[in-house]
Amino acid sequence: MSSVEQQIRDAARQYLENGVYCVTGYERGPRGKVRPAFIYQASDVDRLVWGPECDLNLVNYVHQFKQPLRRGEPPPKVAVVVRPCDARAINLLVHEQQIKRENVKAIGVACTGATPGDPERQACQVCHERVPVTYDTLVQAEGEAGAPPAQDNYTDIVDMENWTPRQRLDYWLKEFDRCIRCYACRQACPGCYCFECVAEQVDPHWTSIALELPEKYFFHVMRAFHLAGRCVACDACEAACPMDIPLSQLNRKLAKEVEALFGYHTGEDPEKAPPLTTFNPAERLPL
Amino acid sequence: MESRNEFEPKIVAFLCNWCSYAGADLAGTSRMQYPQNVRIIRVPCSGRVDPLFVVKAFQDGADGVMVLGCHPGDCHYQQGNYFAQRRYALMHRLLEFTGIESDRLFVEWVSASEGKKFAQVVTNFTEKVRALGPAAIKSARRAQPVREVACGETLQEVSA
Amino acid sequence: MKVLTQAQLKAWLDDLAHNLTLVAPVNVQGKLEYGKVSGSGDVAWDYQRTDMSPKTWLFPATESVLTVRQAQDGTQILEPPEPPPTVLFGVRPCDARGNLAIDALFLNKAPSDSQYARHREATTLIGVACPQMWASCFCTVVGGAPNSTEGLDILLTELQEDKQTLFAAQVLTEKGQKLAANMPGTEREVALPSPKLTAGLPTLRPSAEWQARFNEVYWQRVGDRCLACRACTFVCPACRCFDVRDEVASRQPGVQVFERLRAWDACTSEPYRRIAGGHNPRPTPQSRLRNRFYCKFMYYPQDFGSLGCVGCGRCIDACPVNIDILEVIASVEKMAG
Repeated sequence: MSSVEQQIRDAARQYLENGVYCVTGYERGPRGKVRPAFIYQASDVDRLVWGPECDLNLVNYVHQFKQPLRRGEPPPKVAVVVRPCDARAINLLVHEQQIKRENVKAIGVACTGATPGDPERQACQVCHERVPVTYDTLVQAEGEAGAPPAQDNYTDIVDMENWTPRQRLDYWLKEFDRCIRCYACRQACPGCYCFECVAEQVDPHWTSIALELPEKYFFHVMRAFHLAGRCVACDACEAACPMDIPLSQLNRKLAKEVEALFGYHTGEDPEKAPPLTTFNPAERLPL
Repeated sequence: MESRNEFEPKIVAFLCNWCSYAGADLAGTSRMQYPQNVRIIRVPCSGRVDPLFVVKAFQDGADGVMVLGCHPGDCHYQQGNYFAQRRYALMHRLLEFTGIESDRLFVEWVSASEGKKFAQVVTNFTEKVRALGPAAIKSARRAQPVREVACGETLQEVSA
Repeated sequence: MKVLTQAQLKAWLDDLAHNLTLVAPVNVQGKLEYGKVSGSGDVAWDYQRTDMSPKTWLFPATESVLTVRQAQDGTQILEPPEPPPTVLFGVRPCDARGNLAIDALFLNKAPSDSQYARHREATTLIGVACPQMWASCFCTVVGGAPNSTEGLDILLTELQEDKQTLFAAQVLTEKGQKLAANMPGTEREVALPSPKLTAGLPTLRPSAEWQARFNEVYWQRVGDRCLACRACTFVCPACRCFDVRDEVASRQPGVQVFERLRAWDACTSEPYRRIAGGHNPRPTPQSRLRNRFYCKFMYYPQDFGSLGCVGCGRCIDACPVNIDILEVIASVEKMAG
């Protein structure tokens, strides 16, 4: 079996030669840094690479291809290289009627999990997925067993839940202090696609344009809430943040509560609605 | 200006037009006493109450927020309160996690005929919030104010 | 020129902090920015280049333009308070040139921004020369240098003499002279070390060449991966776009305070470009990204006479998708042949 990179390139070539407009994957730039790549021609597929630095969620870019390229045509078909976590976003966006599943070709890369002890990959340390939940082509590394699937027991979250409220407030204010409200987290997230974000809305004027702590608190808490039951735990937000803010913790806290209250895991099934978009008349929840 | 010993909590209450607001009206016409700390905002349905309102209320100076709606099954719009129920179950936990005690958010079902219940819950909640003290979030600004409001009052003082 | 020991420099800074607002590089949870310090002890001494530029101390990230106070005793319109006398210490030469880029629009072109002018007036800049160009630096490509004195009031250069670290101070302006009046150290001549320059950097083509390349497909491709966030603009020492909103500062019975607030914004962000009626002349991230580079290398020099980029490289480090302005400069060079 050829290497993961070769398999990705072969799949990309296949799709480009069969009606796909663009393949979104990763390439290495002149400085050696990995970054998203858009391949439009089969002759360019050798630009595609794969490695642990591929840590954004490329499904985010399908929002750019929702509109037809030319009037009167259907939207273009695109292929996207996805990790198991990224693939969940495809199911989410299909459910929310943002994309048609047949317009997106998922080149799903099976994951070998996180390098043990790697502090960078929070979401990976506790992930149980190894194979993307949805794919059109599956790419697997030969013979690599990788780290065994983990279970998110939310130990760090439970730990924080035992602090005093003041300790938690101080912790989050300290973390949000260095936020510069650049919105890289929001822009990198496939679940954040509102035409006008509440943080920028003029009418109603929910929050000040000031780049100060109360506004940053508001933005992060509300973004986390708007993603409750919709966040796919890809950690693209944390990867994109230029100030290394622990956004994953906020999102995982809500994932923990959504799991406990509704038994729901985002993105596993495009038919299952995120809990906050639906209701159950017989349900009585502890308020 | 209140003295240091007598903290008067500011309570913001979102009441749904069809049930809890009518219940509050009934409390009023029946001359039932309840603390004046509560500021009532009428909304069509408890399902209208966006968690945004709650966070904004806390940041703008509320010490406690109430969301009162129709009993499950009695919503004027059929299902608004079911959504509210799910939303607020999660909101409690998120607020608690980010440093606003979940006891400061009170969600309950009060029908149009429950004037007494309305007076009761407002009284109980006001006392609970009084015991909790002022919400720490409203004065959460950077230690060095980046800007001062020109009239000599910092935004912190002005929103006290 | 004056030559100070490290101890003398620290003592002088401590002294300055007593009488003025002293701002210097500080470490905030692992990120380096410029913050107010109470003395030399708070300064993060070991830095190559900070993550955030000192721009916020002259052009604040959030600033009140005016305040309206309505009360029983009438309505007052109030100007923001005077900025206190401030010393910005530890400014790199690129950041100082960034201030000059902002001056070109805010001061040198009428009408001048009175608030920015007041901050400029109240602030003295003490630079520290870079001993070398750092990993993502390219100041020499855009007319700067690691030891450039442009835009600074005093420039300190670190040098080693007999295994001791010393600082040679060049006092460059009247403002600098006033501040340096009580600066300790010995007055003598000393050879300043030359900074190590990065070799093999591209050449920046003149704006006419950029004009000729405006419709190249290249701009579509480089903008494909742009997330349309605001990171590059906010870390940039030369970027100066902003948003203005009228907001309620407080509403109490009998007293209402409204502010006209100015805050940083970015041309890369979609709402920035929206105009009345909802139309957006730059609806795609590709078109906005192209505009960002053209503003820096073509529009700004044509309109204001100076480049909108100082080669600090912060945008290269901050961009989540590795959009690299130096790569763009090299690509234009290649396209121009």
